[in-house]
Amino acid sequence: MRRKASLVLLACAVFCATLSPLMRWYAFPRLARIPANQYQDMVLEAKDATLLDYGTMQAKKVPEVTIVQTLKGDVAAAKKIEKTAGRPVVVWDSLSYVQGPDGKMVSKVPERYIFDAHTQDPVHATGEMVDGDPVTRQGIEFKWPFLTQKRDYEYFDAQTRTTSPIHYKGTRTFRGLKVYYFEQTIPWTKVPMPKTMPVQGITPETVARTGTTRWYSTVRRFWVEPVTGAPVYGEEDHKEELRGGTLLGGRASVTAFAGDVKMREDYIEHTVALVEHNRTLVLALTSYVPWGSLFLGILLLALSLFLEARSRRPRDPAPTRSAEPEPLSA
Amino acid sequence: MRALIAAATGLALAFALVLTISAMGSPTGRTSPRPLLTTVPSHP
Repeated sequence: MRRKASLVLLACAVFCATLSPLMRWYAFPRLARIPANQYQDMVLEAKDATLLDYGTMQAKKVPEVTIVQTLKGDVAAAKKIEKTAGRPVVVWDSLSYVQGPDGKMVSKVPERYIFDAHTQDPVHATGEMVDGDPVTRQGIEFKWPFLTQKRDYEYFDAQTRTTSPIHYKGTRTFRGLKVYYFEQTIPWTKVPMPKTMPVQGITPETVARTGTTRWYSTVRRFWVEPVTGAPVYGEEDHKEELRGGTLLGGRASVTAFAGDVKMREDYIEHTVALVEHNRTLVLALTSYVPWGSLFLGILLLALSLFLEARSRRPRDPAPTRSAEPEPLSA
Repeated sequence: MRALIAAATGLALAFALVLTISAMGSPTGRTSPRPLLTTVPSHP
């Protein structure tokens, strides 16, 4: 009976010990993926911002500018690209819609971002774009990879359509979560006019004919939860100017937008709760199950060996009956 | 010999479980019918 039990325990021990590395290095890359059908919105606000009044071409202070950012996964497009890419792909259609204090549109910039569902590496396919311009992204955008490391990453900037490092600046605590803080500075760079302008009748082409150009600079900050790679908070010190040309009436430059853009409080709370939930799921694959099953495997193996050793130990000899003297015959 | 069979059984079961779970993967679902927003939502 003991031998049978020790064999069952041995089978369980091997099962648990095998499960540990398989879960971490085989299952985790296949299960921890951004869902292809993800839909997510985010509201950011810039209080006391400066905004260009296109009627007077003068910059003016406004109480608030709101940016609504939506990400929407295109499942059909992802499946189509997966066939040629040979790996799991997510296709995000995004829209950054900027609204002035009067509720009117300031700008809207659509994007299509295609990336590997697990590694976050960009995948290049037809349709990848920013505001209708085809782009070939390098690096990451919006989200960091699972198990984010304490190092600089290459981050794609949609305004300049270029990639530059976003620097790891230390580990912090944000609303009870351990996060990695990243910062990227984009120096003043000439950027294209948005395809959709806030005033009807004005197009990027008509502005280009005046000789006026658009320049942009930003300092971008992200607080990233390292297990999920999801930013739980973001800020941007964003500046835009129009420079030169006849549109400015002889002025060298005018501020088109300047403001410290921050996530709205209710969205911060929602994001932190969502990331905390997803963090537990990722930790189950990378830590809880692998370490738990390894520990259990060792325990079961020890128990199995103990039972086996006990079953092999020789039993106490049975009491011997004193032999009765046999009659002797001479 | 019986110990070897027991160990092999544990190994095979672990592989079978992980391969099955990984093959099932996560459901891809369908593209959300919700639009890309051009109004400010009141809450998340």
